[in-house]
Formats: sequence, structure tokens, C-alpha cells
Amino acid sequence: MAACRALVSRAVIPLHYHHASRGVMLTHVREKKRWMKAYTLIMERKRKMEGPPPPKPRSQQPNFDYHAEVEAFSARLQESFSLDLLKTAFVSSCYLRSEEERRRALGLDSEMTALNLKDNGELSVHGQQFTKGFLGDWCRGSFHSLPEEGVAAVVGHLTGSDVMCHVARKLAVEELTMSAEFPVPDDTLRGTFFAVIGALEQSSGPVQAGLFIRDFLVTQLIGKDLFDMWRVVDPMGLLVKELTRKGLALPEPRLIRSAGASTVLPLYFVGLYSDRKLLAQGPGETVLAAEEEAARVALRKLYGFTEDRRPWDFTAPTGQLQKPSTQALASG
Amino acid sequence: MTARGTPSRFLQSVLHNGVGRYVCQLKRISLVFSKKGQGSLGVRDFIEEGVVDFAKNNPGTVIYISPQSCRIPKIVAEYLNGNVKEEMVTNKTSQQIAELITKMSNQSGLDIIRIRKPFHTDSPSIQGQWHPFTNRPPSIQPVGQQTK
Repeated sequence: MAACRALVSRAVIPLHYHHASRGVMLTHVREKKRWMKAYTLIMERKRKMEGPPPPKPRSQQPNFDYHAEVEAFSARLQESFSLDLLKTAFVSSCYLRSEEERRRALGLDSEMTALNLKDNGELSVHGQQFTKGFLGDWCRGSFHSLPEEGVAAVVGHLTGSDVMCHVARKLAVEELTMSAEFPVPDDTLRGTFFAVIGALEQSSGPVQAGLFIRDFLVTQLIGKDLFDMWRVVDPMGLLVKELTRKGLALPEPRLIRSAGASTVLPLYFVGLYSDRKLLAQGPGETVLAAEEEAARVALRKLYGFTEDRRPWDFTAPTGQLQKPSTQALASG
Repeated sequence: MTARGTPSRFLQSVLHNGVGRYVCQLKRISLVFSKKGQGSLGVRDFIEEGVVDFAKNNPGTVIYISPQSCRIPKIVAEYLNGNVKEEMVTNKTSQQIAELITKMSNQSGLDIIRIRKPFHTDSPSIQGQWHPFTNRPPSIQPVGQQTK
């Protein structure tokens, strides 16, 4: 970079006019500069070597007013949060620790290092308990015959890191989170989102918080299949257990259709019969795979998680949450 | 250009917006303009008359006014899904800027590219997707009572 240093020391600030952030041309254009091409090529090579710059949090970029953003967050979601609780919900413990260390490293004494910010640990725990309880109740209310493991699996999927962080990012929670690292790690973001739900429950009550969870977390179930969320290793065993619990006859598998048995893509349809009545049929490449798929289809029918079920009601905020609605949803 | 040469996407919404409650997808709008330049006249007029009404009507959007020495006044809109859209508003009138800002507040932040199909459904089939075995009569007669 010696040539680069020589160039910079000789000329006045050689801002390349393509990258000027304002509209004004800041190059001195008396004549075409002979060093411009060499300089730009060197800077390009340097940029390519170093790669893209690390991402900066939005709060450190221009045009960001924290209080206004928090108020807008509350108004955008059509909820009335208490702003103190909401601001506490966004503060994570790793941020407090890193800030105190930074202040201590700068040489401030222990009185100054104590920030008067509380972290969101309690709110997060409270919010997590409330969310899991609400989602469990909702699941049991919507799917009466789903067993406890199924309910736990669905609730675990919805409160898991992937779904929660996806929802939090699209609601701009990540920008308002105060955390030590950027990009905010998934656990911190998930904890912050739980804390926001906890803050909402403490500000507006459990009914409003329940509607919030329904509108943002339960909608993530739209289009999902039960066995994507609930890993069942032996569907036939589970089906046998369900049928014996209901007192119905055990399922008997029968081959219904077959095609291309000697080709590279055979297809078999196996039907499961309980007391000579067809429960479900399923396709597969081998007879065993088809039988397993038929068991899964039968379980989906039993639990009411089929693709053609009546859609859930997301409309009336004033009606009770558990009551099944008479209106179908518009296409989502 | 052609459909293959340009990007395209399917009809979608951010976080199933509208299924639960409707959330305005515009989170932040920045008006970058110059205090003296003649291209920013419309923006300055809009700031005098229309921006406060817009802010009152959209409480979920934060509006930043940043006067800088710039040649082209810009409106930078940031959406909830992370997209940032910049529009140059040189020599526009205050009315045009008001319409433009309303249009931006009604958009979701998804890219304005070709939408492959104007419909989307999560439950495409109610009675079951047709496959060649639906309604096909069985190839063997039903097995009747078997005498043992």
C-alpha cells in the first residue's frame, strides 16, 4: 500500500466521484487526474482482499432515535405497552455486562459503572411461561385428540429458536435489542422476544397478550404439516395405541394399488382397515414405506391436522379465543 | 427484459400480515433534502404542510428529517422485512411527494418484481389432490367370502 500512501499524502482528499455520498462532485476537476485510475484500482483490490465490512447495528447508523422507535414499535403492533417495561424488555444481560466492563476499562469508578438499567431476565422467564401455557391451551382447544407429546412438539416448534427469531426479525425487535454482539445471537433475540411478550402481558393483561401470540406465532403454523414439527419414529405403533385407547379394532394393512413393481420408481398404495372399514391409504416406493405413510395419514385424520381442515379463526378479538368460529378464513 | 432474464417471486406476505392483525410494514422514512437547493423545494413545502399530518396518521412509522447539502433530495423508506427503498424526489411538488409517501406506506417491503402467479393458497386441495389412481376402478374383482 506504499503507492496508496504516496498518493494520499500528495493530493487533497481524493474522493472518487462515483462513491460521493452527497450529490456534489468533490473532485477538483481542473483536468483529468492521472493518478485516479491507479488509486481506484488499488482501493478496489484492497476492498476485495478485506471482504465486505462487518455489519453495523441500525442504532449506530444515522437517523435513529431510540425513544421514537420504541413508541413506533408499540403503535405499529396496535398494542399499548408501558414504555418502561418495554424498554426494560429490550435490555439483555450481556449488554449490561459489556457496558459495565467498558466503563470500568475506561477508568470510571464503581459508582459510575452501575447502570440504572434492569435487564430482561424476569420478564423473559415470565413471557416464556405465559407463551408456552397459552400455546398449549390453544393447541389442546383446537385439536382435542392430539396427545400431550404432540402438543408439546407443536409448542416446542413454535417457541423454538427458528420460528421465534424469524418472527422477531420481521417485527424489528432485533434493531431495538440492546445486546453485546451484533448480529444479535439467536438465544438473546429469542429471550428478548419472550420479554416483550412478558411486558405486554404485564401492561395490557393476558387477553391482549394472548391475541398477540395468536396473531404472530400461531399464524406461523399455517401451511405446516404435523409431522414436520413432531418427529414420530413409529407411526404404526402410535396408531395402534390410539385405536386401542378408543376401543376400535386394530389396523390391518392391505395393498390397494401397485404400479411399476419392476421399474426403478415403483408405487404402492397401502390401505389401513379397522374392522373392515378404510381408515386411510398412503403411497410409497416400497410396501413398507407405503404402510408407514398410510399410518401417518391415519394419524393426521385422527388428530384433525389434515390439509382440508377448517381454517383457524383469527378474526374476532372480542369473542372467546377457544370457541370455534362459524366463519371460514379468507385465503391467507 | 424477458421473464427468465429478470428476477421474479411468488405472491407472499411478510409474516402472514393481515391474517391476524394488519401491521404497517413501513417502519422508518427519512427525508433527505437541501435547505437551499431548488430541487428540494417540493420537499421543503411538504415538510411545512403535509409531514405532520402524515406522521399523525401513521403512528407506527418514524419520520426523520435530515437537511444536508445534497444535490438530489431523497426519500429513504425502510421496511420491516429489512428492505430499504430510496426514491429521488428532485423537482417534485409537495402534492406529488405526499402521494409518493402514501404509496410507500401502503407497500410491504417485498421487491417490486414480476409476480409469478397472482394467487397463493396454503390449502390447494380440499377433496384431495387428483392422482391417476383416484376414481380408477380396481383391476381385480372384490374378494368375496372365502370358503375354508
